Amino acid sequence: MKVSFPYMGTTIVYKKLLELLGHEVIMPPKPSQRTINLGVKYSPEFACFPLKVIMGSYIEALEAGAEVLVTSGGHGPCRAGFYEQVHRRILEEKGHTVDFIVFNSMFRDFKQFYSNIKKLKDKNSWLKVIKSLWLVYLMINKLDILEKEVQRIRAYEVKRGETTKVWESIQKDFDTVRNKVQVMAAYDKGRKRLADIKTYEVKEDRKLRIGIVGEIYVVMEASINMKMEELLGNMGAEVERSQYLSQWVAYNALPSFINKTHEVDIIKAGEPFIPINIGGHAKQTVGHIADYGERGFDGVIHLMPFGCLPELVSQSIIPKISQQYDIPVLTLSIDEQTGTANNLTRVEAFIDLIRGKRMKKIS
Amino acid sequence: MKIGIPRSLLYFYYYPLWKIYFEELGIEVVTTPDTSKEIIDLGVKNSVPELCVPVKAYIGHFIKLLDMGVDYIYAPRFVSILKGQYFCPKFMGLPDMIRHSFDGVEDKMLIPMIHAQNDNIAEYKNFKFMEERFGVSPKANKLALGKAEKVWLEFRNSSLRGHTAQEAADMILNKPENHITATNRNPVKIGVLGYVYNLYDPYISMDLVKKLQSMDVSIKTFEMMEEKDLNKQLKKMSKNLFWTFSDKLLAAGYSFYEDEEIDGVIHVTAFGCGPDSMLGKLLEIDSTNYAKPFMTIRVDEHSGENHLQTRIEAFVDMIKRKKMKTRRGA
Ligand code: SF4
Ligand code: SF4
Repeated sequence: MKVSFPYMGTTIVYKKLLELLGHEVIMPPKPSQRTINLGVKYSPEFACFPLKVIMGSYIEALEAGAEVLVTSGGHGPCRAGFYEQVHRRILEEKGHTVDFIVFNSMFRDFKQFYSNIKKLKDKNSWLKVIKSLWLVYLMINKLDILEKEVQRIRAYEVKRGETTKVWESIQKDFDTVRNKVQVMAAYDKGRKRLADIKTYEVKEDRKLRIGIVGEIYVVMEASINMKMEELLGNMGAEVERSQYLSQWVAYNALPSFINKTHEVDIIKAGEPFIPINIGGHAKQTVGHIADYGERGFDGVIHLMPFGCLPELVSQSIIPKISQQYDIPVLTLSIDEQTGTANNLTRVEAFIDLIRGKRMKKIS
Repeated sequence: MKIGIPRSLLYFYYYPLWKIYFEELGIEVVTTPDTSKEIIDLGVKNSVPELCVPVKAYIGHFIKLLDMGVDYIYAPRFVSILKGQYFCPKFMGLPDMIRHSFDGVEDKMLIPMIHAQNDNIAEYKNFKFMEERFGVSPKANKLALGKAEKVWLEFRNSSLRGHTAQEAADMILNKPENHITATNRNPVKIGVLGYVYNLYDPYISMDLVKKLQSMDVSIKTFEMMEEKDLNKQLKKMSKNLFWTFSDKLLAAGYSFYEDEEIDGVIHVTAFGCGPDSMLGKLLEIDSTNYAKPFMTIRVDEHSGENHLQTRIEAFVDMIKRKKMKTRRGA
């Protein structure tokens, strides 16, 4: 099967899993202006931005020959669960025939989960499937550890852009691994290369730490969020994201009674503000802001797709959390016009503000 | 004791229930006047810009109520009225947006969670908060709820017989009828899809329904359909939207397409309504398959009246012409 998937964050891991199962993977191109334009053209005007970008991404994948699209249905009461329906209809309307395999959490609908896995399993043995899943999970974990390091070092690199380059080449190394030994080798090599990056010494009390929170797609996908992590890194701030793939997997793959992931604590921290799950990641968003506040971060960037229903609720509540935890928060709403000079100025002003706040604290 | 209810959002679907219920408990019910420019402006000023108009209107009504000398404001949190289905996230988070935005209002708010099996929310657990908070006796509570439920069911039956939710509420609550009753002799019948809080808020929809009726158009809306028929329609789809009222609209839309009596469909939607962007697109794509004219009317806090009038006139004329042609052709 020629398989593709929506582009989001560290895509090599999805690619790896499908490859290990013997599928021919059509890598979706990184979302570009063209992707966005295509997506905007063929999607409902008021659809959320992720739906549009993914739409464009699918069209490009189909152009490149994909026959099957694998995606996660998302869960909880928001639109993501309905994406595939709309995508499918629009693609049909455009004259494409395509199969979708939609993964929902296996605890909600095990039968469907099982039948999806079976479709992807093809002629592989179950042992092979489990081994592949496990290898990919290991890979995700290692990549996330390295990425967190990247997000820290970037703020202090002597040669602008070096960390990003190293990170890209680390991902390329991981792209070729076939077994556990190779994963570990790629990981060790990656660590070493990151450690070799020349950095400035910055005193502990002068370090700036920024958290990025919000809707998962715009948080994870750098090509549509003005490369926020790089941007902040270049301005000299360490960055932490509210979402990492390994956390997402652990949280969604574990049944609730043994689920002790950090996500569970975060959701608790969000409870005083939004007591129930209202869909999307709103509760996590407010929980993470509270958590960053608690951990003494200097500020938070809140990213939301334009018009995102649950994030509008979090946006409405943010002034209160920000005040309560004394942590500045900047909300940026992301759509096809993002990346304009205006948003850049806002981020710069925000960094100036928190740097000023930090200086005041020191003196 | 005075309890205030904002004349907004699901007021338009549940007011008969709420009014009778509280009054039976000896509580005075105060509501805000119809949405006006002033109320919308209050809402706009006190909310984040990207919110949809109906939610801004609600916030406006809420603030207005604070000035109307009420002791409490009833602001339920609608969570689910169908198994596995939820409300639009803005509904579920609405009480949070409000209580975290205005200092000191939380004590004034009554925020019971609404969970029900179907759109009849008169379940005891949804109203138990009155016992916990004000010491109403279980007996009195159940009695009041029973009476209120009866009235609400009458209200729903009246809609099922062909009255809009607004007409039905006016009749049940004995208000002079200020509407034009739809007759079945009208040559044109249009299915109007829209949330009750948009369609029956005269400011938001600019009285679209009445405008149509005064053009001799008879209309059909989702609330005139049996819940079980709507659910049957939904079962045909491989996956539904998750949001109850959006699903009802989607199901009503497809029923209208299949209904030979209906000549065209108008979808009224608020600028920036996420759920509608999905269902609107599906209905738009399919309107050609069913050869039914389909029009979208998008409303927001600045939409202009003239424009609307021209558009619906053109739509209705087009349908009339089309009907004449087929009649002549036959
Ligand atoms: S959470 Fe936001 S972006 Fe995601 S489906 Fe819902 S509205 Fe769209
Ligand atoms: S369903 Fe649409 S109009 Fe209603 S609250 Fe949600 S976004 Fe607003």
